[in-house]
Amino acid sequence: MSEKVSVKVCLGTTCFVMGSANLQELIETVPAKYGDKVEVSGVPCLGLCSIDWEFSKAPYVKVDDDVIKEATVEKVLKAIDEKLAAK
Amino acid sequence: MFIDIDCSQMKKYNQNAYGDYFVSKRYPDEARLIAVLSDGLGSGIKANILSCMTATMLLRFIENQQIPIRQAAEIIMNSLPVCKVRRISYSTFSAIDVDDDGNAKIVEEGNPEFLWIRDNEVMTPSYETIQSKTFKNRKLKVYKLKLKLGDRLIFCSDGVTQAGLGGGRLKLGLRRDGLIVLVKDKLAEHPDISSSEFSNYIVQQARNIETDRQPKDDISACVLYFREPRQALVFTGPPYHQQKDKEYAQMFANFKGKKAIAGGTTANLISRELNRPITMDTTISIGKLPACSYMEGVDLVTEGILTLTKTLEYLESGTQDIDNAAGKLVKFLLDSDCINFMVGAKLNQAHYDPALPIEIEIRKNIIKKIAKVLEEKYFKKVTVQYM
Repeated sequence: MSEKVSVKVCLGTTCFVMGSANLQELIETVPAKYGDKVEVSGVPCLGLCSIDWEFSKAPYVKVDDDVIKEATVEKVLKAIDEKLAAK
Repeated sequence: MFIDIDCSQMKKYNQNAYGDYFVSKRYPDEARLIAVLSDGLGSGIKANILSCMTATMLLRFIENQQIPIRQAAEIIMNSLPVCKVRRISYSTFSAIDVDDDGNAKIVEEGNPEFLWIRDNEVMTPSYETIQSKTFKNRKLKVYKLKLKLGDRLIFCSDGVTQAGLGGGRLKLGLRRDGLIVLVKDKLAEHPDISSSEFSNYIVQQARNIETDRQPKDDISACVLYFREPRQALVFTGPPYHQQKDKEYAQMFANFKGKKAIAGGTTANLISRELNRPITMDTTISIGKLPACSYMEGVDLVTEGILTLTKTLEYLESGTQDIDNAAGKLVKFLLDSDCINFMVGAKLNQAHYDPALPIEIEIRKNIIKKIAKVLEEKYFKKVTVQYM
């Protein structure tokens, strides 16, 4: 339990229009739920849509090194739970 | 030198159109600027048409470089018709053709004499008079000036110098002397005032001395201020050739002036190449735009296309003081004189997926439109470099 779980929400153009605008609520809800065990921040761009574009899986969120495609609040919270359980 | 130019105007009371017309154009390739202020006979639509025609024709004549300003003005002076009813000219005009080194040619016909201010003193330039061959009462004044850093030129229509005419305190109106006092007082109090604020101040003061604050004529004041340019650089979009990232990042780093980045990938590129971390604004983005982020040595970091699209919309509609990333970019741009765009030509295919809920514009096109509105509406000097 030494390291925090890091959550990065992509706020680049593609992700933003595909719904990461709504994922910003994580910036408030996650610290309320997990305290300082999890750190959430927006990032200007994860650079994933330009590689993965044919599959159109934006918005992207990174939980530690794992990429969540077509991210939703539920998916991200589930990934956080799994990470915390594994630590 | 940068020429900060702006014009403020007010319509005659109860009129629905401006009877004075101001037009100005910059020619960045020639480091040159031309501006014309014309006052049309009468007021309202008729005056608007007359002054608009005079001003735009004169500008066209001069800009082609085929006719020097002096001859162009002479042709117009000799050909402007006379109103049959009032027996006076259809319009009067002042025009200036000036370069960035401060070499100015000015012509005046019928408008109040311009003011040339240096170190808060009014200069008295010499001029040559050209008598009209066709109309005895028309004289053209031709000036050649060498302007220095800090100089100001103020052109106005007679709505300013005759403000308050026949009223209580100033029976003969504000006149040139009154205008000089007003201008010198303001400059003593606020020596760095911008042309936009200053021209607006003059117009408001002229209005204030009119009876019941109702202008009896169209009021226009145009100010030119010769000063050091405020440089700004906007880097948007990753370069087409990725191997040049380092080179462009270095160009960005070496730029002297204010800097902005518009684009997530671009911000990452600069962060990586210059080894400067990015921190994102932790506040939740309001409305439809992603929040700004921060990087050392960069004044503003925003998302790309969505923010630029909104910025263009604000610039076109004249919307200011909006608290989002585009509002900040608008302020960044308007607080600068010379704006340089470094535009990466690389496309992100994901932006053109028809499944996206909104249409995303092509970067090059938005920048072209932003550059145009900055030049034409806000009189900025803009350069665009594609990479």
